[in-house]
Amino acid sequence: MIRVTGLAKQFTAGKGKNKRTVQAVCEVSFEARDGAITGLLGPNGAGKTTTMRMIAGLIAPDQGRVEVDGIDGHAEPQKMLARLGVLSDARGLYPRLTARENIAYYAQLHGMSNAAIDGRIATLANMLDIGDLLERRTDGFSQGERMKTSLARAIVHDPQNLLLDEPTNGLDVLATRALRVALRGLRDAGKCVIISTHIMQEVERLCDHIYVVSHGTVVANDTVDGLKLKTNERDFEEAFVKLAFDQAEAHA
Amino acid sequence: MNTTLAVFKKELIDALRDRKTLIAVLLSSVLIGPIVLVILSSIISDIESRAEKREIYAVGIEHAPTLANYVARQTYTIKAPPTDFEEQLKKSKFSNPVLVIPKDFEEKLAKGEAPELELISDSGNRNASVGVRNISSLITGFGRERSALTLASRGVAAATLKAVDLDEKDLANANARAAQFTGMLPFFLISAILYGCLNAALDTTAGERERGSLEPLLTNPASHLEMVVGKWGAVASVGILIAVMSALSFFPAQWLIRSESLQAMFQYGPKEALTFIAVLVPFAASLAAVLMAVAIRCKTFKEAQASNTFVILAVSMVPLVSVMNPSGEQPWHLVVPGLAQNLVMTRVLKGEPLDAMVIAVPTLVCITITVACLLFIAHSLKSAAVK
Repeated sequence: MIRVTGLAKQFTAGKGKNKRTVQAVCEVSFEARDGAITGLLGPNGAGKTTTMRMIAGLIAPDQGRVEVDGIDGHAEPQKMLARLGVLSDARGLYPRLTARENIAYYAQLHGMSNAAIDGRIATLANMLDIGDLLERRTDGFSQGERMKTSLARAIVHDPQNLLLDEPTNGLDVLATRALRVALRGLRDAGKCVIISTHIMQEVERLCDHIYVVSHGTVVANDTVDGLKLKTNERDFEEAFVKLAFDQAEAHA
Repeated sequence: MNTTLAVFKKELIDALRDRKTLIAVLLSSVLIGPIVLVILSSIISDIESRAEKREIYAVGIEHAPTLANYVARQTYTIKAPPTDFEEQLKKSKFSNPVLVIPKDFEEKLAKGEAPELELISDSGNRNASVGVRNISSLITGFGRERSALTLASRGVAAATLKAVDLDEKDLANANARAAQFTGMLPFFLISAILYGCLNAALDTTAGERERGSLEPLLTNPASHLEMVVGKWGAVASVGILIAVMSALSFFPAQWLIRSESLQAMFQYGPKEALTFIAVLVPFAASLAAVLMAVAIRCKTFKEAQASNTFVILAVSMVPLVSVMNPSGEQPWHLVVPGLAQNLVMTRVLKGEPLDAMVIAVPTLVCITITVACLLFIAHSLKSAAVK
């Protein structure tokens, strides 16, 4: 379970005269349950990636607190990271290493034994259908193959919590479908999965609970049907536009 | 510790699989020293053989029987140059200076008017320039003999002409003379390490950032310092490998040396090789850390290359201080990386004794630099990942 309370982050951009501060995240609070896929839905620049990075401990928040399975991310970052699998916005692989070596490298950094690594990679190869890729160097992998390898790498330590930033970016239909199947499988296994995206379809098809983020703030949260009901819209896209843009303008 | 080992192994495999770069670096670093040595030796042996031949090239020697007689008594033979020797000298095709003797040589000599001789050479033609000194001292000798004879025939002691006596004594021993030629070898060794480390150092820092693999890497629950030590270990290993290989490459190079005197002067045995390695290993390790520290702030490989130009330039140019500085070795040279290593290696090549300080001080400086850089990189890692 991941609980986020009152996260805020400000950046300074530019130098000298052009110096300005950007409030990337103003107030983000939410809770992601185990055995559910929680979606952070928002337009570009809403602060989703910054929020994800703060949860993953890559950026220190100005305010607020992140708890993963009750562990305070600020106080015990390494203990928290051990319970977290992160598929971040940047998902570079090492082109001169094989897919197996890429995955095993992260497993070693999690302190897994060689026997455990082999077993786990076999399981993941089955789950993500990457058996054929394992012994190939990742140089020249397709987007879908890269994504699957990165995902395998992110969950090699079988984390209870999973953080995915725009996981379907650049994937074709088949790869997206395969990813969905994999994520549902993880949810059914009782994992806590958070995905951030700006794609309605993904949210509609995958998420059990949705937090709509706009201008660095959570403006609404419910199930897909719940959000439609709240906004009196039949179409989820219309509901989202109403929530993310109209309400934000009303705020302003 | 496990983290460091895992990162070290991964980075080393990664660097070793970058075959093209590695082969280029290894070949150039391992071959450059021997090649330079062999080229030097062939130049020197050429000069030696010319000195041994005792030949001079002259035009119009038939006009100067007196001079021809003197030259013959100095056991030199006189040869005629090719007709277009001026053109050939310019193009470096002919490598001997040419003495041109005027028709009225003997006539003027008899009258006591100094005949004008011409010595034609091209300062752009190095080989020809080398012979100039030889001929001019020969002509000076001839002049001296003539004037001594003239004076003697008039009853004046020849010694009155020579108020001062100058004896040239070269204090440099054989090794020191060889070091004049081999003095550039430390520079090649240092450059080899520099370029050998560069690629691996950039790949593990700026390259990792550019590839987008640094951010995911930091979502692992591993200590940043341990990861950085692992990365540095791999880069330093590549540098050390190159240092050791290039230090050892002078052994086979010795067999190829053509000049006998250079071979006799270039004393490079296991002891010298070990001293080179002892000096270069800490240097390679600290250089790896410095290159990485500069690169970690850069977003792309290209930017990191540009930023590291300063380091490359500094390390390659610093040894020049010892060449340019007229006051010779100074105690502070030992604390300047690059300069210190250059100094120690030059001493080894000259066959001068080394004390513990000249090894210990540079090593200590290298260790300090390495630790400082590694701490800095570990500190910068997180902010570098997400920028």
